[in-house]
Amino acid sequence: MIFGYLDAGSGSLILQAILGGAAGILVAFKAWKARLTGKRAIAEPQPDQDEPLTTES
Amino acid sequence: MSRADPGSFRDPASRVILDEGRVLRLLDERGLAGWNALTAASFYERATADGRLIRTQVSDVVRDGWAAVLEHPLVPFISYPYEWTFSMLRDAALLQLDLLAEALAEGVTMKDATPFNIQFVDGRPVFIDIGSFEAYQQGEAWIGYRQFTRQFLFPLLLRAWAGVPFQPWLRGDMEGPTAADMRRLLTWSQRLRPAAMLHVSLQARMEQRMSGAAVREGLRSAGFGSELILANVRKLKALIEGLEWSGENGSWIQYGGCDHVGRDREAKGAFLQMALEAHSPRRVLDLGANDCHFSELAHRFGAVAVAVDGDEPVLDALYRRGSPVSLALSDLTNPSPAQGWAGIERPGLLERAAPDLVVAYGVIHHLIYTASIPPPSVLDWLAGLGCPVVLEFVAPEDEMVAKLTANKTESELHEGRTRAEFQRLVDERWQTLATHDLAGGTRTLYSLAPRPV
Repeated sequence: MIFGYLDAGSGSLILQAILGGAAGILVAFKAWKARLTGKRAIAEPQPDQDEPLTTES
Repeated sequence: MSRADPGSFRDPASRVILDEGRVLRLLDERGLAGWNALTAASFYERATADGRLIRTQVSDVVRDGWAAVLEHPLVPFISYPYEWTFSMLRDAALLQLDLLAEALAEGVTMKDATPFNIQFVDGRPVFIDIGSFEAYQQGEAWIGYRQFTRQFLFPLLLRAWAGVPFQPWLRGDMEGPTAADMRRLLTWSQRLRPAAMLHVSLQARMEQRMSGAAVREGLRSAGFGSELILANVRKLKALIEGLEWSGENGSWIQYGGCDHVGRDREAKGAFLQMALEAHSPRRVLDLGANDCHFSELAHRFGAVAVAVDGDEPVLDALYRRGSPVSLALSDLTNPSPAQGWAGIERPGLLERAAPDLVVAYGVIHHLIYTASIPPPSVLDWLAGLGCPVVLEFVAPEDEMVAKLTANKTESELHEGRTRAEFQRLVDERWQTLATHDLAGGTRTLYSLAPRPV
């Protein structure tokens, strides 16, 4: 990953795909969708989330 | 003795220090990797050779805790974007975009996009932050895009589209206007322009909607590539090249045509030449420089000439004609102060100018009569610069003073304006080396030196 000491701004990063032209719009859509999917994945509890942790002996 | 550059601290991979007049850049392992990526690219040699990138060499100095030390030549005079004219900021923006495009074509990118990384040397913009370059990783967006819009694009749009000077904004907020600020400043018809819809309105909306969201990985997995950055950069370049600001209506652009200016120019030049030869200054500060006739004389003498004037059209015209003097747009009654982090990140204008000789031709009477600054205060300020001064005294009987005071009564003017009073104020502060009465009979040149301690 490029080292960023600067806060690039989430919206400004996604916008760059759109600014890149027609090919970028699909990229922006995919990135947008990935973000939504990512949010849902965090919001929905995983099936084993509430089960007690076990350790193998 | 070495000291850290007060403006170089944000990027932990690269720090600039000043060491006995040498400019050293300290790199950590990450910074060194960036330097190696830069020097492996062919554009580095090209951009250095044509003066767009500051010259850099690996230093013989070793510093504990740092992976490498680079060395740059000293920039004669540091200026900031709030002291630049429209054309200066526009050329700086184009340089930033050109370097990024050339870098990306060879697998290198730039980690920021701020005009503070650019300085003007001999009238041309030079990129000075070598630490800004690093290897491009496929899938990464341009980290500096938002910064570019706030510190280059929006200020230029403010001037070109709205006719509003950008310098007060950048001086008040060095980060520049946000996309949301910019949207509020544009008219409805301006907001409908494609560039405004994308870079201003859409960016403002997306920044608001996606604040704090982690999107870099999503962009990478979605197939983002440097070709998208390059397409954006090309369009930004075309947009900025098309921006124009016509400053012909500046109040002082016709100053050179005034009768007394042409009449006195030769005598004033000869008087300054005498002072230059007497003091051999390395740095000359020309206050109220106007067309920089006298700054350029100091430059030809071999000094670093810093020309300060508050009139943007005049300085912009000078810049466009390629004047080699260092230009600083600033109102003398309110010169740029020290500001930024801890109040020292960006030193004040006069501290940066650090003159060995000050020229104050045709300016003191404007401070006294237009800005209503008491004469003793004006002279205290000049004396406080701590170096020889060449100045022009203009008597109350002068036709220009008559114009400046046409709507003022005697009781509204400060004391200390007559030749005798002025002479007394001068004698209290300086040793007079020479005087010269100009042909019109109302103006006198003084060559002054601080009193020996």
